[in-house]
Amino acid sequence: MSFSELARKVREGAPLSLADGLALFEHPSLVEVGALANQVRERLHGDRTYWNRNLHINPTNVCVAACKLCAFSRRAADADGAFVLGLDEAVGKLRARLAAGERVTEVHIVGGLHDGLPFDYFTGLLAGLKAVAPNVSLKAFSAVEIFFFHRLYGMSVEEVLRRLRAAGLDALPGGGAEIFSPRVRKLICPNKCGADEWLEVHRTAHRLGMKSNCTMLFGTVETAEERVEHLLRLRELQAETGGFLAFIPLPFHPENNALGNRPAPTAAESLRMCAVARLMLSNVPHVKAYWVSLGLDTAQTALWFGADDFDGTVSEEKIYHQAGAHSPQALAPAEIERLVRAAGRVPVERDTLYGLPSPATAAAREEAL
Amino acid sequence: MSVRRLRLAAVSFLNARPITYGIERGLVGRDRFELSFDLPSRCAAAVAAGQADLALMPIASYAAAAELRIVPGIAIASRGKVRTVMLMGQVPWQEMDTILLDEASRSSQLLVQLLGRERGLAPRYEAAPHDRIPDLVGGRRGGLVIGDLCFSASGRFPHVYDLGAEWTERVGLPFVYAAWIGRPDALSPADVALLQESLSLGLTHRQDIARAWAEQSGEEAGLAEHCLTQNIHYGFGAGELCGAASFVDRAHSAGLLPCKPPLLFYPGEGRPRRPGRVENRSTDSLLSDAAASARLSFEEGVRLYESASLHDLGLAADARRRSLHPHGVVTYIIDRNVNYTNACTTACQFCNFYRPPGDDRVYTLTRDELARKLQETVDLGGIQILLQGGINPDLGLAYYEDLFRWMKASFPLAIHGLSPEEIRYLAERENLAIPVVLERLIAAGLDSVPGGAAEILDDEIRRRISPHKCSVATWLEVMRQAHLLGLRSTATMVFGLGEEPRHVLGHLDKLRALQDETAGFTAFICWSFQAEGTKLPLRGDTSATRYLQTLALSRLYLDNFPNVQVSWVTMGPAIGQVGLRFGGNDFGSAMIEENVVAQAGAVFKLSAADIEGYVRAAGFMPRRRNMRYEWL
Repeated sequence: MSFSELARKVREGAPLSLADGLALFEHPSLVEVGALANQVRERLHGDRTYWNRNLHINPTNVCVAACKLCAFSRRAADADGAFVLGLDEAVGKLRARLAAGERVTEVHIVGGLHDGLPFDYFTGLLAGLKAVAPNVSLKAFSAVEIFFFHRLYGMSVEEVLRRLRAAGLDALPGGGAEIFSPRVRKLICPNKCGADEWLEVHRTAHRLGMKSNCTMLFGTVETAEERVEHLLRLRELQAETGGFLAFIPLPFHPENNALGNRPAPTAAESLRMCAVARLMLSNVPHVKAYWVSLGLDTAQTALWFGADDFDGTVSEEKIYHQAGAHSPQALAPAEIERLVRAAGRVPVERDTLYGLPSPATAAAREEAL
Repeated sequence: MSVRRLRLAAVSFLNARPITYGIERGLVGRDRFELSFDLPSRCAAAVAAGQADLALMPIASYAAAAELRIVPGIAIASRGKVRTVMLMGQVPWQEMDTILLDEASRSSQLLVQLLGRERGLAPRYEAAPHDRIPDLVGGRRGGLVIGDLCFSASGRFPHVYDLGAEWTERVGLPFVYAAWIGRPDALSPADVALLQESLSLGLTHRQDIARAWAEQSGEEAGLAEHCLTQNIHYGFGAGELCGAASFVDRAHSAGLLPCKPPLLFYPGEGRPRRPGRVENRSTDSLLSDAAASARLSFEEGVRLYESASLHDLGLAADARRRSLHPHGVVTYIIDRNVNYTNACTTACQFCNFYRPPGDDRVYTLTRDELARKLQETVDLGGIQILLQGGINPDLGLAYYEDLFRWMKASFPLAIHGLSPEEIRYLAERENLAIPVVLERLIAAGLDSVPGGAAEILDDEIRRRISPHKCSVATWLEVMRQAHLLGLRSTATMVFGLGEEPRHVLGHLDKLRALQDETAGFTAFICWSFQAEGTKLPLRGDTSATRYLQTLALSRLYLDNFPNVQVSWVTMGPAIGQVGLRFGGNDFGSAMIEENVVAQAGAVFKLSAADIEGYVRAAGFMPRRRNMRYEWL
């Protein structure tokens, strides 16, 4: 199929096939692919670029999965650098931000697969955070962690999700998807749950009325075909449930891990990945340029290659920085707005569900549009 | 100016016809020129003997004679296959024991010998009459065939080498076969303009020329038209100048030319600016014309900068880049930026590198420190030093002359040194004219001039951010004089200094006009202002996307610049790489250090292997180059 036929399909909103996806990866002009993704992005969101005030908490880095791609985890609780945050300490991170007069609308929680913690630790963490700030959304535990809880604590996935929700869980982050291809999972994360399990956790969460994100880690050993197949599986589940809010392409960062001295995907590859995702995932509302992983310059540029979300203030990111990310560990709201405006887009603050965080910001948002 | 008519000697080959078209038909310079036709080698002899004022002659003849000048903007050149300069034989090149050389063309003779030598071949060369060569080729005897004969002869031999293609694949630059050349005082700028007009008439009538030639010769008109439109390039711009200089240098090093004088042009009037027809042209049509190398007016440039989308600018610039650099090659150089002193009296607002004289952090590198840096550069495969520093009142012209002589005597490194501001200061300090300073620096070893201190070439902005730095006119004058003395230079632009689109376009317009005049700029480089530690605030509108837009616009507007560098040193390798799809064709330098920008917040370092990785991941072939953009 020629590129112009592909462009016509995109204009008509027809879903793209595996072959189309491969053609997008092979097309010689990065800018043409980007311009096509930008059409979709602007059709859905105009110049709007979403961001939020969020806080990252990593409760523990102890992890039994021992993924080769990871620079964050420690195998054992007594290993050098291993940590488990006490509940007071974890909740204290949110309390400190609020005490400093900062607003936070979302806490993003992901951690290692620690086999020595009781389930109460996690429900206690959620409840503790809600007690400090009832209106803050808790977007917590990747599907890999949920599936691990199901195994470790002998509860069904649904039961795990119901109990976490009762304790305060609002949404699931999209991590742990990596690449769905079993071939690649065996090489980079053999002990993580498989693609079917990952998708089943999200299906269950969506069925229970929770929203979630989805991701793809690219730039390890996967082929273009494996990338496109990954996107197609996400699109299939989205067609079934409609529960995904955003897709986040995550470039592999090569430092401090067991995959060896593999070059990270370059900006040209990340921008193309972002654009292809926007084009393939026609039913997922948002594509996020996660500035922590892309770097600020590439994230700004990605806002013209399919992305409509800049992620948030973040403070303080650990997982990518342990793997050599050079981006800052946090951004002030004014800085995010400046970066988005400087890239020629209009910043719009959002909450976890892409709604308006408060009446005051709603007014500002109206003005911005 | 004398009223005597100028005697022009030209070759009668098909490929020269567009150049003489307007004159031959009496459409241009009817009362000014008297045109006669001859073989190329005899055209050169006519000038030497004073029988002609100007002749269409090979660059090799220029280099062999004393004190000549070249008419700017006009050449018979190729950027790949030329179709009319070919080596032919019954056996492959490496098996030829004799090669017959066409007596008619000196450039082609040297070209075949030079390319043979660079392939490690040493056959016997024998001169033979122009039109008999195809009949004399046979066995292990090959022959150089030039001009119209190539069309009929190339089908007769199993081994045919197009020497234009052979040259460009090896060097990465155009090859210039012939140009209008004469004695320095023979032409006025008005004459130059008439000659250029004759060519532009010829270019629009290439189909007619091909048809007339076909009728006369019995060959196919389509073949001739293809040759005139696809194979021969008729402009003598900056790329051709680099190619011609490369040829002269190489032939000289190979002992084929007795000397290598700088290639100098007659002064011209520059290309006329097309009047802006802003209202009635859509952005799309402006972009597609610019992508096809049409000249943008100032007003059109402003309009594109203000309203064309990032993607549309990028796609047009990418198309333009592809037509200028069709091989898919992205070049880079290994050199080292040595900031020999940080003492500086200009106190620019945007600089965090300089220290005022007397400050205890002032330094000037000692010979030992320099020697270590230069040796490291050589050890790392570097071929050049980018030497720039502050305006240090302790250092006079003698300091630089000594320094350059010592550098040249001790290290095999080219000196790309001293921005126009430093050169202007030396002229002022020593009370000498700028060309005199340049001549002395050249004699001491200066090879080329970096395009720094340009910032934004607008006096209103300069007064605000760098009131003590040279004016726009001075910056341009230093570059003009450097080019007229045969030096090549780069040009830069720093944006995000509080300027508006009209200032950016004004900057590009001034560079383009000077380039029309001298063809001395090899490349353009822009970046956005780096604020850390300087006295200026970072403006809200500097961003990666603004950089990509500016880069793309520059590629389109600077239609006479052969190369556009991405600036990974300031913009970061990620955006530098993306810039290769927004008009950039060169990744700059695998730099060993860059103090000025590093002090203001940029801390990127890349090795040659890193650069090659970025270039490949963007879909290009990396090639190392020198300052003249010759592939190494």
